[in-house]
Amino acid sequence: MDPQMTEVTQLFGRFKAAFIRNDFVSCNSLLSQLKVLLTKFPSLPPSFQESPNAVQELTIAREIYEHAVVLSVKTEDQDAFERDFFQLKPYYTDTSGILPSSPQEYPILGLNLLRLLVQNRIAEFHTELELLPTSALDNPCLKHAVELEQSFMEGAYNRVLSARQTVPHETYVHFMDLLAKTGHPEWEIKDGFVFFQKAKESAPCKEIPSLQLINQTLSYARELERIV
Amino acid sequence: MRWKTAPGEEVSAMSGFKPRTGTPATYVHVYVHTVAVRCVSLPRGKISTYLPYGFRIQQWSIETTMKSCLRASASIEDDHDMDVDTATSASQGPAKHALPELEIYSYLLVLIFLIDQKRYNEAKACSSASIARLKNLNRRTVDVLAARLYFYYSYSHELTNSLAEIRGNLLALHRLATLRRDELGQETLLNLLLRNYLHYNLYDQAEKLRSKAPRFEAHSNQQFCRYLFYHGKIMTIQLEYTDAKESLLQAARKAPVAARGFRIQCNKWAVIVRLLLGEIPERTVFMQKGMKKALTPYFELTNAVRIGDLELFRTVADKYSSTFSLDRTHNLIVRLRHNVIRTGLRNISISYSRISLADVAKKLRLDSSNPVADAESIVAKAIRDGAIDATVDHANGWMVSKETGDVYSTNEPQNAFNSRIAFCLNMHNEAVRALRFPPNSHKEKESAEKRRERQQQEEELAKHIAEEDDDEF
Repeated sequence: MDPQMTEVTQLFGRFKAAFIRNDFVSCNSLLSQLKVLLTKFPSLPPSFQESPNAVQELTIAREIYEHAVVLSVKTEDQDAFERDFFQLKPYYTDTSGILPSSPQEYPILGLNLLRLLVQNRIAEFHTELELLPTSALDNPCLKHAVELEQSFMEGAYNRVLSARQTVPHETYVHFMDLLAKTGHPEWEIKDGFVFFQKAKESAPCKEIPSLQLINQTLSYARELERIV
Repeated sequence: MRWKTAPGEEVSAMSGFKPRTGTPATYVHVYVHTVAVRCVSLPRGKISTYLPYGFRIQQWSIETTMKSCLRASASIEDDHDMDVDTATSASQGPAKHALPELEIYSYLLVLIFLIDQKRYNEAKACSSASIARLKNLNRRTVDVLAARLYFYYSYSHELTNSLAEIRGNLLALHRLATLRRDELGQETLLNLLLRNYLHYNLYDQAEKLRSKAPRFEAHSNQQFCRYLFYHGKIMTIQLEYTDAKESLLQAARKAPVAARGFRIQCNKWAVIVRLLLGEIPERTVFMQKGMKKALTPYFELTNAVRIGDLELFRTVADKYSSTFSLDRTHNLIVRLRHNVIRTGLRNISISYSRISLADVAKKLRLDSSNPVADAESIVAKAIRDGAIDATVDHANGWMVSKETGDVYSTNEPQNAFNSRIAFCLNMHNEAVRALRFPPNSHKEKESAEKRRERQQQEEELAKHIAEEDDDEF
């Protein structure tokens, strides 16, 4: 076996042991060492060089990043989540010809959807959603996120609140708690009730906006003069 | 075999740009551009009958075809009589003096022929070869032909389902076109790249490229239509419905009448975007000539949203689910559910001054474990968003609608009036601009500096007039 591969495998073994012990401090330091070691593998994205160890290298790298994403959820570091997820994504999208798909793929994609929802990044949420095949939407992890978004849109907050009990994966609880704790730009949750922020009031106007009217009328006159 | 011996086929592509003896090269340039490019669609019908005779393409491999093609184009140049005897020319060495324009044009013809004959893999090989050749050419006279070639390059790969392979190549070509200031090439390649990304639903990448690519005034109406359509699609996915609607409607309006499939696609997306915006498209949209059948699923969908009937909406979505997934609009239709509920709720709010939440849930046909709680929060959100004017009485489980306010007491009508006038004036100005000839296309060429000077003068004059106008008020 390749000496670099042996080193990575050993280090990853120690990382997993620390991960199970919930020893996040040593996890983080081991992870940064692993990431540095991974840069020496030629077959990883973005270069995708063909090498005899390609399958082995890609598999272990994918597994490391999957763990990194879950670790970032446990340490509640959203920036790290985003970074690690984007590093992981090419393994899901561009290695379909080389590797068998990972069992962790849908749970992690669902987790990412949930994160975008919690951060109120709805446009990105839908952009990510378009990338999923129709069959994937039957997966409980993805279904959970998609239904949550629908409840949001409709305003069925009671379903949002009860969704915490039906999470498909333990890591999802963190984001659901975040949702209940920090709420949303438009509303917040207190003692099981949803409180809305006050929306802009569109009260009937008391004054005629004369300046605006004059400007508009003048511009019509100018344009009309050009036509006639 | 002699080219001239095919009677009735004289007006075919190749003999189309037959230059006279000793014709200067510039003559051929002009000819290639003005006639050949426009005529690509004309000989297309004749290619299938003509090419096999000219190049015996049926039996020959691509290389031999291309060789003879190039030789033929060279012969057009050299041969006074246009006698291309394949038997003798085969024994001659490869053509040395072929004009690159003719070479590229030959590639284009062979490519179109192969695609028409459904020989897609050969077309793919041929297009890749032509692109490799194109990269080594740096002649502004080839740009127009190259733009056409890019299109067929991408098209042949789309037909063989291998669009992902050429993405890097297209990006490199786009960079090359930008460096060479080949605007038509940039326009074409940007559209091909967007199409490439959207083919794989890579909306994020598509938008990043679109927003960063250099923009200029469109050269070709067709390319501009495509651009608008892709832009509209991206904006729809990213929930920028107002921009999306504008782009999609403009694309549908600007597209040529013959492009029925394209206009149908534009209309389908425009209908959904308008529904998502809370508008109801007019019935005439669905009754357009030749589109009625294709738009039927969307018509029924509109109907369900208009009535606000969740049950009907579900039935329509199921009934046409295969169509919607084929159109890749399935996810958008899921988004519409929210609009159906809103419309239904608004209808209830108008009809009843006071209604129990249980009845609201029943009327909206919410199917969940706890419909009353659902209804309460949905109503609360609708009130908060300003969709209905009502209050929720939690203790009694009622929704009490307020008297519908007088919209004429607000600034709304004034704003609506203003936006409509702005739309009309804008349309008029664009129409006038479209009627204008490009600056000095027939007169002598004016240098870029001179033009800038003239435009500056014109602008100053316009400003002057405008200021005088203002003074008069």
